[in-house]
Amino acid sequence: MEESPLHAFELHELIPLVPAGIDISINKAVILMWVVVGLVAFLMISAAAARKLVPGKLQNLAELIVEFIRGIILDTMGEPGMKYFPLIATLFLFILFANLIGLIPGSYTVTSQIIVTAVFAVGMYGLSIVLGFSLHGVKFLGILVPPGTPGWLLPLMIPIELISQLARPISLAVRLFANMTAGHVILGVLFGLAISGGLLIGWLPFAFTIAMNGLEVGIAFIQAYIFTVLSCVYLGDAVTLHGHSEHAH
Amino acid sequence: MPQFESHFFSSLIFWEILSFGVLFFLLYKYAFPSLLGMLEEREKKIKDSLDQAERHRSEAERKLREYEAKLATAAKDAEALLTQAKERAQRLMEENEQRMTVDAERIKGDATREIEHERRKAVQDIRSQTTDLALMVAEKVVGRALTEADHRRLADEALDALSKTYQSRN
Repeated sequence: MEESPLHAFELHELIPLVPAGIDISINKAVILMWVVVGLVAFLMISAAAARKLVPGKLQNLAELIVEFIRGIILDTMGEPGMKYFPLIATLFLFILFANLIGLIPGSYTVTSQIIVTAVFAVGMYGLSIVLGFSLHGVKFLGILVPPGTPGWLLPLMIPIELISQLARPISLAVRLFANMTAGHVILGVLFGLAISGGLLIGWLPFAFTIAMNGLEVGIAFIQAYIFTVLSCVYLGDAVTLHGHSEHAH
Repeated sequence: MPQFESHFFSSLIFWEILSFGVLFFLLYKYAFPSLLGMLEEREKKIKDSLDQAERHRSEAERKLREYEAKLATAAKDAEALLTQAKERAQRLMEENEQRMTVDAERIKGDATREIEHERRKAVQDIRSQTTDLALMVAEKVVGRALTEADHRRLADEALDALSKTYQSRN
């Protein structure tokens, strides 16, 4: 059974839906998005419904996640950033669960679609730009001039900063997409080897598959975390405008 | 790569935004307020508990100091009481001793006086009896009676001599 390791990323229309000339057909990725939404909503809402001062297992997990996201926001944006908590938390949970569910064999990794990560990246970056201009007006263009830049360097700095700004949504989108895709390609290749190797040698790539799967769980967490942190950093930059710590690219 | 097939872009974008929107709405409305509230409540509770514990601790410390002070006072009081009792006992003992000495002196003096008195009486008795005896002897010897006055004079002379010899012997 020789097939392309990219086979796993192929989508097929399951239910064609084309209202008003726009193709919104249901495919596997869309169904997996629903699964993510349902699972996250169920987990978080049932955890929130418990509302006990001494939490049970589920509430404890939900509170751990909430506390974790709160930590990210407070670290990058400070107390005023808590206004964006619901958005950041939803983003983190959506990406995290999309990454994790994608690791279940037979399911689909929503975040391995470049367009999905691009929507998140452009959405968050766009929000930061909109927020920046609405909070600071024209002064927000000052984000292109790092504090302490001497005047004669401006012609050099502004294009560099402009490129760095434009690279933000692209790197954000590509980082998540590439990590998810690469992980699944490696898993696919290793599993293909395991199958074609047979019993004699196939156990070796199969063992690697298991190890890689464990690694992928970690990567699922890390990439969701990175995406969230960077979104927070961009939002924080826009809200405070050279207010506090320099951001990392 | 299949991910770059733009055929699916429109449906993915649409469903992603819709899914994200639905999830955001659900969590915003039903999950986050309760969870964040819970965390804050717990934080507050822990802070309150710590504050209370701190309060209790300082109160306990204060009470301990109070008790220590009381204990010190009590110890001082007890010592004072003991000293007082000792002094009293000493005084009583001295008084008793003095009184006993005085009593003993008195009893001794009384006894001495009594003995002296008895001795004098005895001497008196002996003297008068001796006189009578001597007279009787003298009457027998002389054969004639002397006057009472003579008797007395003679007897006294004899007795004086006698007592002189007696005293010189003693």
